[in-house]
Amino acid sequence: MPDMPMTTGPSLDVLLRRLLDTPADFLDPPWRGREGQLHVAAVVNDVLAMHGTAMAAPLRVTLSGGLQGVNANQLSLSAVMAWLLADATWQSFDRDGEQLQALFSEAVPALAAEAAATRYVLEPDRREELARTTIARLGLLPAGETAAQAADRLASVSGVERRRLLEASRAAEARARAIREALARKAAEESADKWTRE
Amino acid sequence: MSQAPTDAERYPTLSEEGRRLLQRMREHPAAPIFRNQSGNRLLAEEVTQLRAYEQQVMAARFEWQPGVPPPWLAGFLDAVHAQVPYFRARDRGTAFEALPTTDRGDLAADIARFVPDPVPLERMMNFRTTGTTGHPLVLPSHPVVAARYLAYHKRALARFGIGLQHGRGQMGVMLLGMQQRCFTYVSVTPTMDESGLAKINLHPNDWRDVDDRARYIDQMQPEVIAGDPISFATLLQLPLSHRPRVLLSVSMALSTGLRTALEARFGCPVLDLYSMNEAGPLAVHDDAYGGHVLLQPGMYVEVVDASGRALPAGQEGEITLTGGFNFCLPLLRYRTGDRGALAMAGDVPMIVGLQGRRPVRYLTANGRWINNIDVSHALAPLPLSRYRVHQHADAGITLHLPVAEAGLADDAVARLQQALDGRAVQVQRLHAEDKLLQYTTDLPEGFTA
Repeated sequence: MPDMPMTTGPSLDVLLRRLLDTPADFLDPPWRGREGQLHVAAVVNDVLAMHGTAMAAPLRVTLSGGLQGVNANQLSLSAVMAWLLADATWQSFDRDGEQLQALFSEAVPALAAEAAATRYVLEPDRREELARTTIARLGLLPAGETAAQAADRLASVSGVERRRLLEASRAAEARARAIREALARKAAEESADKWTRE
Repeated sequence: MSQAPTDAERYPTLSEEGRRLLQRMREHPAAPIFRNQSGNRLLAEEVTQLRAYEQQVMAARFEWQPGVPPPWLAGFLDAVHAQVPYFRARDRGTAFEALPTTDRGDLAADIARFVPDPVPLERMMNFRTTGTTGHPLVLPSHPVVAARYLAYHKRALARFGIGLQHGRGQMGVMLLGMQQRCFTYVSVTPTMDESGLAKINLHPNDWRDVDDRARYIDQMQPEVIAGDPISFATLLQLPLSHRPRVLLSVSMALSTGLRTALEARFGCPVLDLYSMNEAGPLAVHDDAYGGHVLLQPGMYVEVVDASGRALPAGQEGEITLTGGFNFCLPLLRYRTGDRGALAMAGDVPMIVGLQGRRPVRYLTANGRWINNIDVSHALAPLPLSRYRVHQHADAGITLHLPVAEAGLADDAVARLQQALDGRAVQVQRLHAEDKLLQYTTDLPEGFTA
């Protein structure tokens, strides 16, 4: 996900309202071979097509209901995400096909590992987490918020985001350490030719 | 971790002729004691790229004027905000002019945060600077970055109608130091068909016979001699017969008096380059325009006031840099600590009234002079964040230290006294919170030229 969303995106209220209005059949058990009704891959395919992007084959397989490693909760939350992305408000903002697909391949699995899909519809904090995560991962800002406000609020409502930040900070620290070590090497000390020395 | 490089790493493209030249520079009967080893470290494909780079730099035009940023600025800002941890952590903001400035203190606090994510670390090198502002710095660089200096030197030389000619088997450049301790070595420049490069120290300590200094330079016949006002003042005293094509003066302000004396003595132009480790060669003084004409079309220069507000052309303030050719350290509104005003020299921007670093020398108890670089070396082993060494009119010395570093005072005084042949050193608290002049003198002879 971009580290610093730049462009103003949809109103958070609009998306929270949209989640509150999630139709009950989106939370029906997803089709997984011999059980469930909702064909999540088809739902997601339709919404991606609506945004002008073709569903990537690996994502189609992931959401097909045919993989044992993909549980029902991840499929249900994918359906909820599809519902959220089907709102007309998105038409006003630039959307990137890869980022849209990454919502299903990266954000949804992480969120689904934290809580049941129904909680992202029924509980205010989880609703906000889902809406904010979606906006942020599309490289946008909630309308009326600065980048710093949006980042702070997302980190406060989202355990997934907090962990992501922690991992990013660990990676940044590892990189900084590697740079310091590279600069301290004997080879770095010895330097290289310049025609003038300050 | 601390393995020294091999010759194959120092000179990856070295030919047999190049090897012989290295040997001649090192083993000449009048050669100085070369205390270190270094090299160009350039890979064959990098040499090819550098040749193309030099042509681009020679042909490039400045696309900005004071107050009118270049078209490449927006893309540069996008890149640094996406790739450089320090800038990524800040709000991108909307107006360039409103972005906070950075300075040496920021770099000194954690240089790693200024290195872009995509920069590979395997061949990273560093340049150490002392500078006048009290923050010792280790700056990230790369062999290609070091080699790019020459492109800007050539641009400066071309301004005065000089094209470099020395190549295979000849000495291209001799870099002079005049310090008690100095990094000295020999190398060759692959983009100049392996012309020779020797960095030598004119200090008598580095020679078997002090008369060898003139002999060595006369025998090696460098096309270019580069140095600072202190080493050039020494060069002036040597009985040389060799006439280089040009002298390049860097590091410190070159006085008109010294420049005139050098031009008369060597019968060649003396180019006063404004250059710094953070940015490379930035400008060259051009008498015809009465200012330092800029050399890097990829560097946007502002002059700002204390609050970081860009000042209009003609108004004096702090020189502030954005851009640059060191891909390990892109600068964004970087305050140099140097002052001047912007103006135009034809279609090229220039800095008028540059007030850079003025060399200071100190009188030791034995009546000899040491320069501020020696003082830097004496204090360098101590973890001082900043200091000021002041020479009073009676040659007495006061060392100013931050209150928080008073615990290092005894050690600092001892080191300074040793460098000053035992001269007494007083200690005072340093109250300045921000930038300060590191080396100052009330004794007029402390200014070398």
